[in-house]
Amino acid sequence: MALAVIGKTADFRPANVIGVWLRHFTAFKRGYLIETTAIVVEPVFILLAVGFGVGQLVGQLADVSYAEFVAPGIVVGNAMWHALFECSWGAYRRMQIHKIYESLLTAPVNMRELAGGEIAWGATRAVMTTVAVLAVAAALGLIGSPMGLGVILVGALTGLMFGSLGLVFASVAPTTHSLTLVFTLVGTPLFFFSGAFFPISSLPSYLQPVAWAMPLTPAVQAARGFATGSVGVQEVLALAYLAGLTLLFYPLATYLLRRRLIA
Amino acid sequence: MDPVVRATQLEKKYGRLTAVDRISFEVRPGETFGLLGPNGAGKTTTMRMMACISPPTSGDLTVLGMDVRRQSRAIRDALGVVAQHDGLDPDLSARDNLIVHARYYGLRGSVAGARADEVLEFFGLTARSRDEVDNLSGGLKRRLSIARAFMHRPRMVILDEPTTGLDPQSRNRVWEQLANLKQEGVTIAMSTHYMEEAASLCDRLVVIDHGRILAEGTPDALVREIAGAQTAMLKVEGPERARVVRALAERGYQAHGRGMLLAVHGRDGDRPQVEGLGVAHVIYRPSTLEDAFLALTGRELRDE
Repeated sequence: MALAVIGKTADFRPANVIGVWLRHFTAFKRGYLIETTAIVVEPVFILLAVGFGVGQLVGQLADVSYAEFVAPGIVVGNAMWHALFECSWGAYRRMQIHKIYESLLTAPVNMRELAGGEIAWGATRAVMTTVAVLAVAAALGLIGSPMGLGVILVGALTGLMFGSLGLVFASVAPTTHSLTLVFTLVGTPLFFFSGAFFPISSLPSYLQPVAWAMPLTPAVQAARGFATGSVGVQEVLALAYLAGLTLLFYPLATYLLRRRLIA
Repeated sequence: MDPVVRATQLEKKYGRLTAVDRISFEVRPGETFGLLGPNGAGKTTTMRMMACISPPTSGDLTVLGMDVRRQSRAIRDALGVVAQHDGLDPDLSARDNLIVHARYYGLRGSVAGARADEVLEFFGLTARSRDEVDNLSGGLKRRLSIARAFMHRPRMVILDEPTTGLDPQSRNRVWEQLANLKQEGVTIAMSTHYMEEAASLCDRLVVIDHGRILAEGTPDALVREIAGAQTAMLKVEGPERARVVRALAERGYQAHGRGMLLAVHGRDGDRPQVEGLGVAHVIYRPSTLEDAFLALTGRELRDE
């Protein structure tokens, strides 16, 4: 058993992960105008509408303005959307509609490398949107601390985690249509109920544990910690939680893809 | 020389369905080998096992001297594969499709670029190298997916129905290019259900149906063995048909229905003896691979 695992590890070619990533980057460059718009413009709209529009109604929170309160959550919430979309719908499209995975597997690429490349690209998109929106938020004065740069790290881990999770969904989805459920039943509730837009403490008490268990919640907490310059044990644990889930979902996605494609 | 592919009692089951039923065959170095069979015969399944993307249920399969179960990666390093669906990347240009794929074989940077230009030239795709894949015609897409399989100079190429769905011009173009590649010493294993393709490209054929091998040999030998040198086409209609079929059976001939006509194959070099049956319209012609194929796989017309 141990030998088999070592054998597999020895057979892992990191260059293939980079190869898959480069495929995505090449495709991205081809459509960069549209892609960049999606990465930057939509989250900025949300930031302006919610931060300043809704913020006017909400007024000042305990120690920050409402816009300052929501900005970190919007940043990592978008990181989630991009990674989740890329690795669920995007991956499904490449796998089932265009049969690109099959071409890849006839080349000397193994499933773990393929999945690794997909997740790495999902995380890259998450980082792109994190950097862009964070920069806009900072320019608007919504990031109070230079430690706010740490939000990029949170965005990267959020991307890796939701990329892995998205790939799990892609690997079991029976149809493209069924993947819309990922957005309705996973993306949307996480985006709105992970403490990005209102403190979890304002939820009914029986819902609070649910909100805390949701995988975007630690990302929002950690991002807010970095943005306001108060990073402690809680933030570190939040990042560890994201990393831990990634280490769970990535092998799971690999296993499920193998089961689906190598028959 | 050792065979490039050796299948021994190779079997593939999907649940209770047996797609490939304990077949044994060999592909020899430098030859163009054809797996000929109707749709659903087990061709694609066999090709997928050879390409190491479908593990055999039982039996042995070695490709380039390596075991498909244990040395899948090393086999894939040396193999070029063209799937039935092109599997091209619609988000990349034609040229980038080649470059991105070649990277998995270790070709990078300017080496990959130069090789891509060379391969595009060989396959007559230079003018379209920057085009989106979706803007290419079916024939060009197929040529691009074959070109992609040749980027890393594979020792052997596996093609699953390389010209299915192409118009006659594109099909001929693909045939020419495959013939050129054979001249360069590449071993080619392909599946097809086009007789003309099998007859004009393949050195050796295995005819399969329902996952089993029905016959094996060079196209000429197969035709001669199964359909003889000559085939008689008899025009018989209505109630006459049953009588003629019976009379032929008495002479030891099987009649194969072809629309309004009956095909009767000779034995070896001889013409079939169909005189004196009261059939006015008889035409003799050389037997073809299609005759052999239909005789092997088609529904046989016996006493009605």
